[in-house]
Amino acid sequence: MSGSPNYSESELMAVLMAREVRDGEVSACGALSQIPATGLLLAKELHAPDAELIILNTVFRPFHTSRQFHFLAQRGELGLFFVSGVQIDGHGNYNLHQLGTDPERPEVRFPGGYGGGMIYYCARRTVVFRSEHTRRSLVERVDFISAAGSSPDNVLRLGNPSKLITPKASLRFDTAKGRLLLDTIHPTHTMDEIRENTGFDLGVTGAVATTPAPTAEELRVLRSVVRPKMIETGTYAAWAERALGSG
Amino acid sequence: MGVPYIPVIGLVGTDLLKRRDDMVLAPDPFDGKTVSVVARAMRPDVAVFHVDKADRAGNVSCGYPVEAVILAEASHHVIVTAEEVVDRLDEKDAIGTFVPSILVDTVVHAPFGSHPAGMTGRYGPDKSHMKQYVEASCDDASFAAYLKTYVFDIGSHADYVEHFVPRELQQPGRAT
Repeated sequence: MSGSPNYSESELMAVLMAREVRDGEVSACGALSQIPATGLLLAKELHAPDAELIILNTVFRPFHTSRQFHFLAQRGELGLFFVSGVQIDGHGNYNLHQLGTDPERPEVRFPGGYGGGMIYYCARRTVVFRSEHTRRSLVERVDFISAAGSSPDNVLRLGNPSKLITPKASLRFDTAKGRLLLDTIHPTHTMDEIRENTGFDLGVTGAVATTPAPTAEELRVLRSVVRPKMIETGTYAAWAERALGSG
Repeated sequence: MGVPYIPVIGLVGTDLLKRRDDMVLAPDPFDGKTVSVVARAMRPDVAVFHVDKADRAGNVSCGYPVEAVILAEASHHVIVTAEEVVDRLDEKDAIGTFVPSILVDTVVHAPFGSHPAGMTGRYGPDKSHMKQYVEASCDDASFAAYLKTYVFDIGSHADYVEHFVPRELQQPGRAT
């Protein structure tokens, strides 16, 4: 494992997200979700031609109003949802509301979670992502729970968190333990580095596998099919132009 | 809908729920054990929203798809401000969401009523005014000054448009 990789962090994360998409399912991401949008479009070009995609606020959305999206999720028809949080904790909770220990006097306020607290319960699988893998973003306890990773057995819940994807590693959510556990470490990163930059216990007991690197085919399709498609359809076009290679 | 409360999937375990007294946990009345959040119905006294076109009877064409019908249904009084008021508007003429007059109490003719935000199909946002608004909202004193200038010291909506809506937004065909 030496030398610098032939892909960017955004490209890596998009490829890893694409691998989570299943053919025939409905998969979605919210607003300001450049990397998941890329992953969704990539999956459709690769292994999931019959996946239904919902990329909010772009041409890839079947609905005009948020109510239709919410009701689809409540009916249990949303297979996969991608979401990010300012803070994400070891219990699979995420925070999109505010920072600070006193909830009445937050140090910083964010726009909030839209319907996240509900979608987290409804999507069959939710993949949480964070483009920054540090101790300030990955914490033991979030300052404010916008969406809860676990719930008591008697509470109506249709789905659970499934993974956390960062530029350094993939973590999987263990529903029985209610914890995010280190799954694989991305190429060029090390266990020490992950431990040093994560604010919660990773549940590691033995050797941890390396994340399979993006293949030549994944990168080719990402750069020569998905990138032009995003630019052409105005789907985070300026970002795609800047952040994705033009292979 | 007119129902007193409705179940909501999710939210259990969030700090959001701790801050709301209109949402509680309740068991499924059919199986007696599965728990979910139950939210009390919202019945606003008054709803006010801005639309593209309305007629004299109160029929409304919003101009784009929007959740206006459920808002109008839930509210006891509905005031609609409109870019344009016409004599007669049929549902088939509506662009986007149509709100029938039976749900509407009052129509106000208010061209540029979305300013400094934009109005789909008519004019874009006034970005420099938006920037000024954001800066003013940083503390109470500057926001009070903003309100004095743009709200309290203004005699009428026509005065507001005359003084504060940039001429270039008032040109036809500036829609975004």
